[in-house]
Amino acid sequence: MEEFVTTISTRIDEILNSIPLLKVELALAIGFLFTLFSSLLFDRFFKHASFVVSCLGILTAFVVLLGQYGITATGFSGLLLIDSLAFYSRGIILFTLLVANVFLWQEIVDLKKEKRAGDLYSVLMASGVGLLVLTVTTHWLLAFIAIEMVSICSYIMVGYFSANNKQAEAAVKYALFGSACSAVMLYGLSLIYGFTGNLDFAQQSHLQGLMTAPNAMLSISFLFVFTGIGFKLSFVPFHLWAPDVYQGAPTSVTTYLATVPKVAAIILFARLYASWSSTGFYFSELTYYFLCVVAILTMLVGNLVALRQTDLKRMMAYSSVGHTGFLLMALIGYGKGQQDVLLFYILMYSLMNLAAFAFIAVLEKAYGDTNLETYRGKGFLLPVLFTCFSITGISLIGLPPTAGFVAKLLVFSDVFGGYQNSSDPALLWLLIVGALTSVISLFYYFKIPLYAFLRTKRSPEKEQNRPVLSILYVIGIGLTILLLVFGLFPSLAWAILS
Amino acid sequence: MGVLSLLIFLPLLAIVVILLTPGRGAHTLKYTALTTTLIQFLIAGYLLLNYQTGTPSNFADISGYQYVEQLSWIRLDLGTLGLLEIDYFIGVDGISLPLLALSALVILMAIGASWNVTKSRKGYFALLMLLNLAVMGIFSALDFFLFYIFYEVMLFPLYFLIGIWGGARREYAAIKFFIYTLLGSVFMLLIIVGLYFSVQNPYTGGHTFNMLYMMNPENYVPGSFFDWVGNSYQVFGIPARMIGFIVLFIAFAIKIPVVPLHTWLPDAHVEAPTPVSIILAGILLKIGGYGIIRICIGIFPDSMAAANWWLGLIGVVSIVYGALNALAQSDLKRMIAYSSVSHMGFVLLGIASLTAEGLSGALFQMVSHGFLSAALFFLVGVLYDRVHDRYIYNFRGLANLMPQYTAYIAIAFFASLGLPGFSAFIGEAFVIIGAFNAETLQTGIPRWMAIFGSLGILLSAVYFLWTLQRMFFGTTRLKGGDRWGSALSDLSPREKLVLTPALGLALLLGVFPSLLFNMMNGTVLNLLDLISPFIFG
Repeated sequence: MEEFVTTISTRIDEILNSIPLLKVELALAIGFLFTLFSSLLFDRFFKHASFVVSCLGILTAFVVLLGQYGITATGFSGLLLIDSLAFYSRGIILFTLLVANVFLWQEIVDLKKEKRAGDLYSVLMASGVGLLVLTVTTHWLLAFIAIEMVSICSYIMVGYFSANNKQAEAAVKYALFGSACSAVMLYGLSLIYGFTGNLDFAQQSHLQGLMTAPNAMLSISFLFVFTGIGFKLSFVPFHLWAPDVYQGAPTSVTTYLATVPKVAAIILFARLYASWSSTGFYFSELTYYFLCVVAILTMLVGNLVALRQTDLKRMMAYSSVGHTGFLLMALIGYGKGQQDVLLFYILMYSLMNLAAFAFIAVLEKAYGDTNLETYRGKGFLLPVLFTCFSITGISLIGLPPTAGFVAKLLVFSDVFGGYQNSSDPALLWLLIVGALTSVISLFYYFKIPLYAFLRTKRSPEKEQNRPVLSILYVIGIGLTILLLVFGLFPSLAWAILS
Repeated sequence: MGVLSLLIFLPLLAIVVILLTPGRGAHTLKYTALTTTLIQFLIAGYLLLNYQTGTPSNFADISGYQYVEQLSWIRLDLGTLGLLEIDYFIGVDGISLPLLALSALVILMAIGASWNVTKSRKGYFALLMLLNLAVMGIFSALDFFLFYIFYEVMLFPLYFLIGIWGGARREYAAIKFFIYTLLGSVFMLLIIVGLYFSVQNPYTGGHTFNMLYMMNPENYVPGSFFDWVGNSYQVFGIPARMIGFIVLFIAFAIKIPVVPLHTWLPDAHVEAPTPVSIILAGILLKIGGYGIIRICIGIFPDSMAAANWWLGLIGVVSIVYGALNALAQSDLKRMIAYSSVSHMGFVLLGIASLTAEGLSGALFQMVSHGFLSAALFFLVGVLYDRVHDRYIYNFRGLANLMPQYTAYIAIAFFASLGLPGFSAFIGEAFVIIGAFNAETLQTGIPRWMAIFGSLGILLSAVYFLWTLQRMFFGTTRLKGGDRWGSALSDLSPREKLVLTPALGLALLLGVFPSLLFNMMNGTVLNLLDLISPFIFG
């Protein structure tokens, strides 16, 4: 007690000093509260009220974030870590969150249901707070809380609109699988805490604890932890939920799931990987080879299974699994202290994904279906939309002259640099599989132009529905143009990120 | 902006005009494309006339190139990975300039062949112009990154041109073509990345994609992956530089195409519409040969000198196998497609011989095959347009019905089979001479390869003449009876206009081969200077 009394003032000082570091998250949390109130109070007068408030909340958080440019600091006794990686990744998260919010708004407007949908904005905001926290911590306690926060919000969003069995199934599957993975992860964390007595994975004492831990138990606990992260990132073999959930969830929620949480989770994993792989001990090798093997498997499985899909959303789910593999490959470069390549890939991947889902949302709204068969011969009716969609697909494959190509090239360069230094065959296999899966992915991304342009309609029925110019349409086209511009002049995006 | 950039990016202007043309304005679209290509053709002619020949220089030095433009394009500071330098760097030499002029001519022919396209013209001509842009870029690029971008951009318009305007199995042919090329090129990308790490700009110290720097051993970082001397890197037990060479060779060999990587070609040709076949045979196959010369030899001369026996063997196998296959075909277009495989085998054999005669012959053969195969595919298209059939045994005695057509096709056949007086003879003869001399010069190509090569010439005479006999001579008998008889009208003035320049050129270059040889000679000698230390060293 005596001891506590003497330190209490310094502790309070530290907490007070740390609060400014948290102001982005606080801004978003306040935005969340306002959104909640406005959906309770104002939505009945002006039905877009909570949407406007939530957008303002995200924008405010973004403005506050800009004030943290160039700051490197820790706070709350090392629970919080602000660095340039945190700065840029939160920028990307807030941007994608804003776009996802617009997707959600469009979905709710189109739904025309009287069910109070305004709550979804606040759920999205709440998940945003969790996502931001994920990128600013190296402490398992805070990370786990943030993961749970994001997960619970995601469960709600997936199930919120469920109108039929398929959607309800997706929601339940997601919640069950998610909680099981979280539980396993928590168990793994408790084991690791037992070994090290420190939950901050970037601390020296944490690493020292791991060095002395018995190998067998260490392997088990690591696998448990990776299970939890694997679920969030949907890498193989924890990807099984993704296709069902992506297909069953409303397109706006799928957009969110495929993009935003992935950014945050990969940042957390990047920090974890960089720290755990930094030594020459058993656990570092375990982490390294685990990452290599999982990256190879994820690229292969994601892309190969995607070949057989005929539903656009399901196909995008597997495509996102495949891209996760590629993101994991980018982590290896990050482990060597090269963060801009990783950030560049994340940014481009987010743009591509958002563009693809914007087109899917527009098409789904017009034709009520996301099966590729529906779009037979539609390319000649909607040349602009399908041309842009095809360009997005080209970018997702990673072919020039799009941003996806530059991103892929940089990741290859990164890994090749490592290979040249170490001559490690695992890196060579990563490169080969990465190249090979790009070719495989051509097959399914090109199904879009294949159906839209190459195949003709079976019966010449009259066209009743045509997509109208909506905000998502504009977003999609804008992002496509951005992909081309960044593909030809990557320096523009690079200048933002470094 | 220099005149070479104008040549490359003029089609972009055409694309904008085509896309902005309101409605279905058929004439505007056609004439926009035609005018653009005509201007390009004139520019190419201007470049040819003003090209300074006979300036001996260095293949790896900028002074060996003309109409050079160099602008810094992308500069990324990759931290530990060094500074990434990508330039907009274009220029031509005696190897690329004739191919550039050939491309302009072939695309002009292709537009002539597309005059009656009716299905979504707007997209068609826009894609054709995009292809035009990419092809011009490929032959001009001197930066590997830039080259790669044009190389990949070329695939999209082709995929759609085959896939939308093609025949019954067009989907299969389009994706097969795409996959084959992409498979080669993604691994090429890995080699490009490796080269990027190995090569430094001697002036700035940054890593670079500049092809000319890649050709100079002094610019390699000591101990880097593709370093020349004392390189201990191995991939699957093969030395690093050899693996780089093999991967690049496979990427380009798919384009040529050589046996056994040729199977996409017959499918693509048979399903593609006539204009696309013309471009495919006339230009795209040349990209393979060009890539091997510019990139495989240029950047990996040591590996080339070590591997040329195998290249020669592949060339000979392609010549004979392609010819035997052509002999067995009953679809006229398929037969010509296989004859392309056979004729492009000469290109590879000539390159592999590593002699001045062989290399010049290979280049000459590329140009000559360019317009001759374009003419052949156009001629097949003429027949197909009229009766929608091209099965050899469904026609007999066409000479009575279509005398002019028969005359043209006979000239094209004779020119292609290597009759003296036509360009193909010069190309093939020089390749054989080069391969024959190779043993004396000890470059590693044995004489029997030259002998088997000449067997290919013999076989091509057999299948061309036999086809001529089967389809055109004898009494007229057509599968479609009188309906076909009335549909098979003789050549129209437009068709003659397209064909005459190509056949005229075959004759002109056959009689005055020095027109082309003079232009190429300086660069070929430069190239030999680059590689000869490795042959005899």
